[in-house]
Amino acid sequence: MISDSNKSDPLDFNPAPPQARREHVPIWLLVVMFLMLYWGMVYFDQHSGWFKPEVYSPYHDLAEVEVWQPVTGAPSLAQQGKAVYNKPTCVACHQPDGNGVPGQNPPLTGSEWVNEAAPGRVIRIALNGLNGPINVKGQSFNGTMVPWKDVLSDEEIAAVLTYIRQNKEWGNNAPEVKPEQVKAVRDKIKDRSAPFTPDELQKTPPTD
Amino acid sequence: MNFGPIIFLVAFFGLCCSWLGLVLTPQIQIGRLQQTNTIPAGVVYPVQRPGLARQGLAVYRANGCQYCHSQQVGQTGTICDVVLTDAGTNETSTLVALRKVRPSFSEAQDRQLLAGLPKTIREGITKEAADAAVKVINASGAKATAWIVPVGPDIAEHWGARRTVAEDFLFDYPVLPGTQRVGPDLANVGMRLPDANWQLRHLYAPRSVVKDSLMPPYRFLFEKRRIGRSPSPDAVNLPPELAPEPGYEIVPNPEGSALVAYLLSLRASEPLFDAPLSVAEATTASTNAPAQATTSTNAPAK
Amino acid sequence: MPRGLAEVSEIDLSCRLPLLVLFISAAKWLVIGWIFELIGSLKFHNPGFLADYSWLTYGRVHPAFTNAVVYGFCVQAGLGVMLWLFAQMGGVALANRWLVTVGAIIWNLGVTVGIIGILAGDSTGFEHLEMPGYASILVFIGYLAIAIWAAVTLHERRRRELTASHWFLFTALFWFPWIYSTANLLLVSFPVRGVAQAVIAWWYSQNLLVTWLGLLGLGTLFYFIPKLSGRDLHNHYLALFAYWILVMVAGWGGIPASAPVPAWMPAISAVASVLSVLGAIAVGLNVCHTLGCSLRPVRGLPQLSFLVFSGCAFVLAGVMRAASALLVTEQTLRLTWFGPAVQLLDYYGFFAMAGFGAIYVILPRLLGVSFPWPKLVRVHFWVSAIGVLLVVVPFAICGAIEEARLDAAQPFVTIMRSSMVFLRISTMGDLLILLGHVLFLANLTGAVVGFYRLRARTAYSVLTADLFKPAGARP
Repeated sequence: MISDSNKSDPLDFNPAPPQARREHVPIWLLVVMFLMLYWGMVYFDQHSGWFKPEVYSPYHDLAEVEVWQPVTGAPSLAQQGKAVYNKPTCVACHQPDGNGVPGQNPPLTGSEWVNEAAPGRVIRIALNGLNGPINVKGQSFNGTMVPWKDVLSDEEIAAVLTYIRQNKEWGNNAPEVKPEQVKAVRDKIKDRSAPFTPDELQKTPPTD
Repeated sequence: MNFGPIIFLVAFFGLCCSWLGLVLTPQIQIGRLQQTNTIPAGVVYPVQRPGLARQGLAVYRANGCQYCHSQQVGQTGTICDVVLTDAGTNETSTLVALRKVRPSFSEAQDRQLLAGLPKTIREGITKEAADAAVKVINASGAKATAWIVPVGPDIAEHWGARRTVAEDFLFDYPVLPGTQRVGPDLANVGMRLPDANWQLRHLYAPRSVVKDSLMPPYRFLFEKRRIGRSPSPDAVNLPPELAPEPGYEIVPNPEGSALVAYLLSLRASEPLFDAPLSVAEATTASTNAPAQATTSTNAPAK
Repeated sequence: MPRGLAEVSEIDLSCRLPLLVLFISAAKWLVIGWIFELIGSLKFHNPGFLADYSWLTYGRVHPAFTNAVVYGFCVQAGLGVMLWLFAQMGGVALANRWLVTVGAIIWNLGVTVGIIGILAGDSTGFEHLEMPGYASILVFIGYLAIAIWAAVTLHERRRRELTASHWFLFTALFWFPWIYSTANLLLVSFPVRGVAQAVIAWWYSQNLLVTWLGLLGLGTLFYFIPKLSGRDLHNHYLALFAYWILVMVAGWGGIPASAPVPAWMPAISAVASVLSVLGAIAVGLNVCHTLGCSLRPVRGLPQLSFLVFSGCAFVLAGVMRAASALLVTEQTLRLTWFGPAVQLLDYYGFFAMAGFGAIYVILPRLLGVSFPWPKLVRVHFWVSAIGVLLVVVPFAICGAIEEARLDAAQPFVTIMRSSMVFLRISTMGDLLILLGHVLFLANLTGAVVGFYRLRARTAYSVLTADLFKPAGARP
């Protein structure tokens, strides 16, 4: 066998299991272990959010995450309405600037239909759609608007109508629309599935 | 104690513990995650990446991009700014409120402030202080909001507006948050560098767009071909010293196009309940896919 | 030059064939793997180096390197040492050595297919699990073929006592198939959704590199250090304490702090990493006291030097991991060059060095011949030790500097540029390590060749002795 030294070869050992002294584990090591376990519990308590899946570092618990939510109180209806508008719901036809397409889709900017004080008519249009010739800002449009009552909820319709009616850039300044108002109209016309015509709407008072 | 199966049982117990803790529990908590809503706009997030971007993820994986690039933005804290959005109708009461909120500024400076709104009037304060300031300003007739700003070294490097969370990787396979940062973090590269031509040029010749870059050129993702009747719209716009000879153009092959589509789809800065953040306006659906007309609610996802 | 064939015990004889296959293949994979690492390392100095070949891009060459070293070398060396230890400590021949050899061949086939798959672009993407599914099934079958007979050998042992080494090695036997099958099922075959994939991948990485290699390496250390130094193991129960810490706590580490997962996962990992330092302390104490708190037993025995270096590396790796979990800047410390530094210390500085020491002891006993170039064993030690330090220390310092600069929000490109000097030093370290591996492979193959040559010569002389007996010598 090889040997780097002249003494008896340490590599030529008896392969039986090595002898081992069986003393107890040093007490100080166990003390350190318990101290570390204590530190571990404190660290976990502070940094873990106690297994809640919504808590990510640097937040320490769910309450802290809720404190840091960006809007204090309910988000404004107009803000949400813009998001609803820009889903390809209204924006596709009425365009991002609200001016519609000349000859095809009526504009929402400064429109007298939009700016009525009471929202009854616009709610009906949004719910059931519109069919037939309509006069907006002196121009005539003769198209079809799809109904949104099955796609958008009351809150969403209220939000998008509020956004449109209160959009100062578009020259609109009308009161907001509340979800309860949308719900009231929806209940009134729940038996009707066909789109409205402008003539019918003219006959219905906006406060209805 | 010479009974072999005891060792087996101890080992099994030890493995079970870590398996229960780090395999089963995460699967229950985040393995069944669904889409969530952004706050406050309530738009569904995330949406599935478009098909070409998903193929690009396969190219990303095959070429091992995750060994040099991470996709995890960290965050060490959150601070609040107060932004004045509307001066209100009564200027004197607004100015009084402003003095209360920022006493270290002079009245002349406050007046100047009112000229070009919206402006930040307090920076880097706690949420309670910001809410108190907003209350004072709103009571005077003007309008202010508390602006939530995540902070951290990764955010300071402009790698993202907020930390990455589990929802950002919901539909990806494989999820590759990366092992090392030899190159910058890519979680938001689609927002930071949305130009397809920049990405292509960077892949073809990294040192031509980033001086002293350590990234190797990925020429095998491109092919050089003869220009047909007119130059291809996909052709990479290269500087003269790298451009091929006249009559030839460099276009990405399908893998190259897919990889670039994937990189451009990387955005992870929507404000979520888990990672709150203020954004400038109510956002549309995250633009890594066409927006879908799904119903959404106003309530924060819980 | 090798002297005559020495007497080989029956147990060693039974282990010879499978262990030769395992050890020589392991040495070969180490050389191949480190060539991949060198290619990757050179790309940092000249990004255009071999850049036009898609199969040699850094993102493919780097996982080829890690998989070749971990699966090609570490697992095979570890299994070989485990088989030998079970047979020798139990006093019984290795059970069914032919099937074990077949298992080793299948394992090698699987790793070859896997590495080719990675270079071809079929990598799964998950760190340390990059071998594609079609290769991992081969690897798994090879492992089972070896592991079952290791368990049988242990079961049939004549000496019934179970030492601390038994605890470590027998646990390691089961640990690998459990974590490997779990990871492959949940990540490759029936992938879980979303970022749970990353969590399971991190869990697997940690269990493979820290727990499993730790179990195998410590089992080796706690046998060979007492044997080679001729002294008793200092404290059996301290060794078991390290075992408990490794099995119960170390498997929970591995989730980095900036991971896109809820806060409790990085928190648990941080606590686990800090608690694991207790295991490192226990091992350090044991090794130190076994040697009598001096380096004198090491003199003249490079095999023991390997093992002592390995013990020190284990302690250092544990401390580094705990320190990086405690510092607030662990936010990104793991994502800098500090991460690869600790990993290299784990699978190379600790495990591979222990493997070298053990193989240098076992192989001559298996064959009954000595190494053709015995002085190269010592050269290999110094070359490997210096090489490892030249890689780990610059990487760790570079990582710390990078982290400090990122905290100061310096532009990323300048941070990377300033890391170049450390990368240059590490490439030199890589070259040294590769040299060490070449010496290792040369010594091993030289010993095997010498063995077969001697055996042929002996057989020839026995044969011809009968033919050429002088006339009249027959009774």
